[in-house]
Amino acid sequence: MAHIVLDSCAGRDGGREALEAAAIASLQLDHQITVVGDESAITDALAKIAHDAERLRVAHARDRCEPDQDAADVLRQAPRNSIVVGLEIAARDPSAVFVSAGAPGTIVAGAQQILNRIPGVPHAALAAVYPTLRPHGPVSDLFALLLDVGATVECSGDDLVTFAAMGAAYASKISRIDRPRVALLCNGHGIANAPVRAREAHRRLLAAKPAFEYVGCIRADSVTSGDADVIVTDGFSGDVLLRTLEGVAATGESLLRRAAEKFQWRVGVQMLSDGISAIREFTDWENYGGAPLLGFGRAVVVTQADSGRRAFLNAIRLGAKIDRLQVIAAVSEGVAAFHGLSGPPRAPAPDPEAT
Amino acid sequence: MTSDPADPSDPTSPEGQALQQRRFMHLRWDLDKTYLRTEFDTVKDLIKTFRQKAEDKIAVAGASALLRALLDPRERSHRRVTFISGSPRQMRKVLTAKLALDGVEPDMFILKPNLENLLRGRFRAIRGQVGYKLKALLLSHMAAEHVDEYLFGDDAEQDAFIYSVYADILAGRVDAVALAAILSTCKVYRGDVDEIMAYHRQLFGSGEVVRRIFIHLERRSPLDRFAGYGARVVAIYNYFQGAAVLFEAGALEPRGLIAVTEAMESEGYTPERLANSLQDLMRRGVLHFGTIQKLSRELAAAESTMGRPVPRFLHAFEDAVGALENLNRPGPRWEAEINYLGIYHEARFRRQQHRFLGIRLLD
Repeated sequence: MAHIVLDSCAGRDGGREALEAAAIASLQLDHQITVVGDESAITDALAKIAHDAERLRVAHARDRCEPDQDAADVLRQAPRNSIVVGLEIAARDPSAVFVSAGAPGTIVAGAQQILNRIPGVPHAALAAVYPTLRPHGPVSDLFALLLDVGATVECSGDDLVTFAAMGAAYASKISRIDRPRVALLCNGHGIANAPVRAREAHRRLLAAKPAFEYVGCIRADSVTSGDADVIVTDGFSGDVLLRTLEGVAATGESLLRRAAEKFQWRVGVQMLSDGISAIREFTDWENYGGAPLLGFGRAVVVTQADSGRRAFLNAIRLGAKIDRLQVIAAVSEGVAAFHGLSGPPRAPAPDPEAT
Repeated sequence: MTSDPADPSDPTSPEGQALQQRRFMHLRWDLDKTYLRTEFDTVKDLIKTFRQKAEDKIAVAGASALLRALLDPRERSHRRVTFISGSPRQMRKVLTAKLALDGVEPDMFILKPNLENLLRGRFRAIRGQVGYKLKALLLSHMAAEHVDEYLFGDDAEQDAFIYSVYADILAGRVDAVALAAILSTCKVYRGDVDEIMAYHRQLFGSGEVVRRIFIHLERRSPLDRFAGYGARVVAIYNYFQGAAVLFEAGALEPRGLIAVTEAMESEGYTPERLANSLQDLMRRGVLHFGTIQKLSRELAAAESTMGRPVPRFLHAFEDAVGALENLNRPGPRWEAEINYLGIYHEARFRRQQHRFLGIRLLD
């Protein structure tokens, strides 16, 4: 039984949908759920929602953080916010999974302060799944993993190879792939045009002969082909790529809505409605269950800021799966095994923007 | 809003304890979904329930332990238990056998004359509970000078409504005019109305007899649904919560609470689930921090004397309580006047609003 620690201060409707998801999960799933936030407001709201109080606990967070606030400011001005309180609860319980739709920067900064980092991991990575054309692994998982998508914007070669090890370990557990195919996201036609960090990571991954299959570089236009189970990049490029994929899906939706302008098009769309619904389901980010933050000794799942009930419920299910399959332990072992082969990582380079 | 009209004198003081010992306690239990885990949502369930043997019937976790603790042989001479169930009279034998298996001997066991209702064409009475249960409650009322009644029902039927009307008849808050309006709204048959009104004339204003009405949330209904009844109605997710409230009221001995805790644990309840249950009561203002401390002391003492594995429970309780900031929240209000007709219509609307001409309207 997993212990889900859910931040109820973020998400759609000021966190109300997070609370509703917790209430539904308490009725449908056999997990301990701790909802973090303003206790008095949560208790009042829960009174109106069917829930199972036997499986639901409330932890009070005195301070509230705003989503657009700088991470350092949040931790300084609102030290007892729901992210900090939730991460502290997670730190105390080995079976805990922290789920939040809060600002990823604040979650990463809070996790760095509160949670133990996996040995050999210089920086954390946020891993997102995205739909591909080719299925992955024995369970024909249609989703591939992309990391990092925003946790570590400035990455070194060390970071990228560690991300590769973490992503491969995660995919081997979640998608049950024995030897995941891992690729580095590159620009142009080859590694020669890639930045130094990517070239260094490429060289080390080729030399290491790790437990996963390193398939080399992959261009952004091949990401959805499914040629790789795990694609590794820095947090900046990963975030840009993910937003682009989401933007394309949203544009497709808008184009379909424009079909209402002409009667013939409307009829055509109606005839294709089943297929369109299937594609919509397939590309809807709310079905993915959030992005796991890898690199810490506890599972953390970050959902989008405007997550609704369905997104939170899927994030809770993902968190429970991560706990059940002991994914964090597998990631830790994967990193240790990789560094055992390629040597320990160097100390993280100093942040040039740090004062 | 009024002060707590049903709050007995402090049970921890010597006078309070003496008074507590002198008082009669009348326990009123519903059976299906309150004491027994019964499914009767479909015809198949009904047939299955009807054909079940006594040994196949399963009590709700902690229910029989709580009832046995309340009917402790040392206190039995001034404790009484009445079961009032909507099950047909033809099931008396098997239900009595089930209670005997659980070590519970009811003083009175009232079952519904469903066959008679069917033969007389009183079809509304087969499904309706208000007329039948209110009459049975008034009929089995124990006329004694010092009596406390604790009523147990569930959220599958109208138990909170019926029990509260009964309590307010005794307290003198539902007069004949108000009762007639309620019975008319609930479409109670004329014969039943006459009998209920006759009981009302005898018992109206007997006193604040009903201390607590426990509603077992078998369907996990939202708590707000019971807010209109005030603090007398306590919605509970399990009987550990009921035991904790009775423990705070001085109606249940510490050993009784420990027995319920053990029974719940043997039914698969983890310390975390029980701690969550306590925290829920605290957040709702039903249980006070002092009670949790007292309960922890009793559990710790039980461990030292009987070698029970208590530390996990204590740790879970501390954790659950420590997660809160406001440890002593003011409890719900004791309602001076309950808007019974408003509650009835609201519940009726709620049942109907989901569909209109078969079309789903609201979630």
